[in-house]
Order: sequence, then C-alpha cells, then structure tokens
Amino acid sequence: MKILVVEDEKNLRETIVSFLEEEGFFCDHAENIRFGSQKLDLYHYDCLLVDIGLPDGNGLTLIKELKKLHTDTGIIIISAKNSLDDKISGLDLGADDYITKPFHLTELSSRIKALLRRRKFEGKKEVTFDNIQIIPENRQVQIDGEQLPLTKKEFDLLIYFVANPLRVLTKEAIAEHLWGDFADSADSLDFVYSHIKNLRRKLVEKTGKDYFRNVYGTGYKFTGEPL
Amino acid sequence: MKLQHKINIRFLAITILVFSIAGFLFYSILGRVVHQNIDEMLQSRKEILIRYLTNHQLQDSVYQSPDNAFVIQQYQGQNLFQYNDTLIYTKTDKEIIPFRKLSFSITINGKTYKIVLVQSLLESDDLIEVVFYFMLALFVILFVVLFALNYSLSFSIWKPFYNMLNTLKAFKIGKTQETHFPKTGTFEFDILNETLNGLTQKLHTDFINLKEFTENASHEIQTPLAIIKSKLEMSLHDPLLPEKHRNYIHSAYESAIRLSKLNEALLLLSKIENRQFVEETNIDLTLLVKEKLNQIEELVELKNIKVSLDVNTSFEIKMNPYLAEILINNLLGNALKHNIRNGEIRISAERHLLTFSNTGKPLTIEPEKLFKRFVKQSASAESTGLGLAIAFEISSIYHLSLQYKYQNGYHTLSLFENL
Repeated sequence: MKILVVEDEKNLRETIVSFLEEEGFFCDHAENIRFGSQKLDLYHYDCLLVDIGLPDGNGLTLIKELKKLHTDTGIIIISAKNSLDDKISGLDLGADDYITKPFHLTELSSRIKALLRRRKFEGKKEVTFDNIQIIPENRQVQIDGEQLPLTKKEFDLLIYFVANPLRVLTKEAIAEHLWGDFADSADSLDFVYSHIKNLRRKLVEKTGKDYFRNVYGTGYKFTGEPL
Repeated sequence: MKLQHKINIRFLAITILVFSIAGFLFYSILGRVVHQNIDEMLQSRKEILIRYLTNHQLQDSVYQSPDNAFVIQQYQGQNLFQYNDTLIYTKTDKEIIPFRKLSFSITINGKTYKIVLVQSLLESDDLIEVVFYFMLALFVILFVVLFALNYSLSFSIWKPFYNMLNTLKAFKIGKTQETHFPKTGTFEFDILNETLNGLTQKLHTDFINLKEFTENASHEIQTPLAIIKSKLEMSLHDPLLPEKHRNYIHSAYESAIRLSKLNEALLLLSKIENRQFVEETNIDLTLLVKEKLNQIEELVELKNIKVSLDVNTSFEIKMNPYLAEILINNLLGNALKHNIRNGEIRISAERHLLTFSNTGKPLTIEPEKLFKRFVKQSASAESTGLGLAIAFEISSIYHLSLQYKYQNGYHTLSLFENL
C-alpha cells in the first residue's frame, strides 16, 4: 500500500510518515503542491494525505489534479478545525475523508485503513485478527465462524483497536473516536473504561483470550500475544 | 422623524414666531401712528375753532355743528383738556362707531367755553384691519412658497444624501467589496462621499486582514500543536519507554489536547464575533436536537440519565448550519456534562422557544457570569469554560436570547427569538 503525504510542516510530515511506515505502509512525501503533483504524475498511490494550507497554494488543487490522473486513489484531507468551507469543497471534489489538526495518529491510521478497505475491496474485505473476523460492511464480528453480538460502540471500538494493533490507544483518542464533538461532554473517559470492560469480557468469553492490555494511566493496547 | 419633516417643523415654528411678533409690533405701531395723526388733526381743528371764536361772538349758549363734529357750550368749571375714546351712535350710519374725542375749556374775550371735538376712528380702524389681513396673507403665501421650495430642494439638493444612505444601508461587512458614491457637485457631500468611500474600503480591508489573521493564527498554532501531539503520541507508542516517563509524556499529551481544544474554541469565538459565518439556510433546531440526541444516546445511558423530549412544533431559524450545530452541541453537551448520575434532561420546544433543563448540583458561580469566558463551574481540566460563551455569542448574532434560570433543582437554559 503506497501513501503520499503532502504536508508542509517538516516535523509533522516526518512523524506521520514514520508512524505509517511502522504500520507497514510504504510512504512517500512532499512538502508542497509542486513536488506533490510531480509525484502524483510519476507514481500511482493508494492513498493521498493532503494538507489544505500549503505554502504554494491550496491543497484542493492537488485533489483536482489527482482526480484527472487516477480516480482510484483514496484522498484524506488534513486541515485546521472550523474550516467548514474547506471540508465541503474538499468532499465535493471527491475527497473521501477529512481529518482536523491536531489529530491522533491512531485515528489517522484507522481512517486510512477503513478508506483502503472501502476503496480496494468495495467494503467486502474482512479484517482478521488472530481468530477474530470482522466484516465492516454489515458490522458483524465472528469468532471461529460464530457470531459475536456487539453494540454499535463496541464494534467501533474493536475496529479501532484492530486497526492499531500493538499501539497504545490513549483514553482521549478512544473517547474522541467514539463520541467526536461530545468526547469531553460527560465523564467519557470513565465510559471508555466501561466499554472496554464489556468488549473485553465478551471477547474473553468467546475466545478465552484477553487481547487488551492496560497501559497504566495512559490507555490500552490490543495484542494477540499471551500475557 | 425624517430630516425634511424636522426642517419643516422648525421652519414653521420660526416663521410663526417671527410673523406674530412682527405683526403685533406692526399693528401696534401703526395703531399708535394713526391715533397720533387723529390727535394732531383734532388739535389743528381746535386751533381753527379758537381763532374763529376770537373773531366771532357765539350767539347761543350751546352750539352744535351740523355734522356733529364739534359742540361748543358755555362753561363754568375747572380747566379741562383731555383726549378719550368713545362710542357714539351715528344717525347716518345707524350704528355705534368708535370716535376720538377732545374735550377742552377755553376763555375767550372773558367768556369760558367748553368745546368737544370728535373724529370718527372708523377709517383708521379699517386701515389697521386691511394692513393686518394683508400681513396675514403675506405670511401664508410666504410660508407656502418657502415650504414648497424646501420640499423641492430636499429632493434635489438632498438627493445625493439619500442615495448615500441607501448605499450605506446595503453595505455589509464581508460581502460588499467597496462602495462607490458618485460626485454630487456639493462641496460637503463630496467630502462626505470621499470619507465614506475611504472608510468602507478600510473596513473591508481590515475585515479581510482580520479574517486572514484568524485563519493564519489557526493554521500557525494548530500545526505546532499537531506536531507536539503527534510526537508525544509517537513516544507513547515506544514499547521501551519506562513507565515513569510514559506518565510524564501522557500528562504532557493531555495538556496538548486541552490547549488545542482551547485554541479551537477561542478561534471559533473570534470568527463568530467577526461574523465570518455568512452563509445561512433555514434550519429546524428541533430536528437538530433530535439528531444530536441520537449521537449522545449512549453517553446518556451510561450516566443513567432520563431524557424527555417535548417537541410539538418546529423552531425554524435562518442561520449558519455549522453554527447551529455548535449551538445545539454546546447546549446539549452542557446539560449532559453538568448532570448527575441518575439525573434528567428535559428538552421542550414551543413556538420561538427552546428550553434545555437538566438536573445538577447548584451553581457555585454567579448566574450572571455563566455566559462569560473561562467561567467554570467545576475546576475539571476537561472543561474549557468556553462552551456557553460560544453558545451565547452564536445566539446573539442571530437575535436569539439565551437565559439561565434555576428552578426546583433544574438548571434551565432557554433559547428564544427576540420578537
């Protein structure tokens, strides 16, 4: 899977690239529209990650360009929050997703994975982790062929963890993933805990394995390794 | 009141004042002059009579002239000389008319007479009357002419001014690029036009600059924050990180998240204040509430909060869809955040009124300060203290009122249209 990251801020670009490379993606990067469009001309990417505010123009022009070359490349826009216009015009141009700065890297990787899944396999691809099979299209989870009933949020949570195995998912990132704008509305961090407790219990009952690791004070990790 | 009417009223008042003073003065001066003339006339007739009496003997003791203009009679008494006004019935006119009377006594050739001279005031009264009516007519004509002149002048001379007003009324910050006021040929208006052109241009560029600044600031601050956050997150993912350091990094990470939320909220506030959300559509807030309730359904359940929705009517308003979403998000979020376990949220909509009531601990802050920035009920790190400030700001730009009330254990925020 090849991803092109177009972001002018060197530090952020490098962080994103190294995080995504750790996730097993092949990453290319550009710092402005000129270099970005050169790369888009030369290579074929599975996903384009593009910042809206670039030193030589608006990232949206790159989307227009890409749409003329390859229509099968997934596009995720990165932008500052509250720029609704950018969001609307970006999605109108054919971008698939939109993520606002500052974002959690784990959120970014789960968005990229969901996007690639939809793009490459029309949503039919199953995600398998150990002996857990997830069918995102109809939001089902099977363990060794047997259905595991999960609530909507538990499903979202599982997908998020499976997209970021062995990563520490912070409580804040989980809350934001589950509730978006309302993440800080209620005692959401406590609710993260209770959701994980339930999901964990259901998985332990079916598989006999505990996939979750508490990372003390920080969050949780999803791993297939035994304790 | 219209400028024209104001001018006309002043004009009317001043004209009436000036004309009545002038009319009164003119009338009284004229009256005095006429009286003086009549008195002089009587005086000269008196001298003619005296001259006559000196040369001729009076036969009778009383002599009345045939036209009743004078009466001479022998007289024994004090010296007499007096003018007075009197009314006399005249047979010729068959009516009582005012007369000026001069009575005096005189001794000629050893004989004393009393002579009474009268002069009709009728003609002089007529004169004064004519003058008065003439003045009145003059006043009316002058007034009508000046009034009409003023009216037509305000249409021609003041026309550029009214054009200017219309252009200014149509001026909208952020929408109108610049105004153009044509040359009028009137010195003051041309100066005003020039100043206004400059001002609107300045307003527009200032607005654009401010807008750009907000956007740039947003970008410039968000990016370093995103870097800080992502670097900290990367460090958290390092499996070799000692636990002690992980805790340090996690708290730095938490603070970075808080800072970025704060930054977002402040930028949002300034954008709202700068009226940067110009696009407007008709939005039914009750639909939005229902939609958002679905989103928080789970958070509500987890806190075991009972939600009751009493919506019989729509609450439609023309506003920016993004701001409408933030407004409802913040109000709902507020009802949820400051609620208690096993609490309640009641939402009701009536025509032009939407209320959010929730159970919760009594306020520790003064209710008046509730909508101020950075005023927090709890010292919790999660709250930015800007949620209600933003909701208030959004309400006020769409002419909505947001009011707080605490009643029977319920905190109630009412959103209503200012009618």
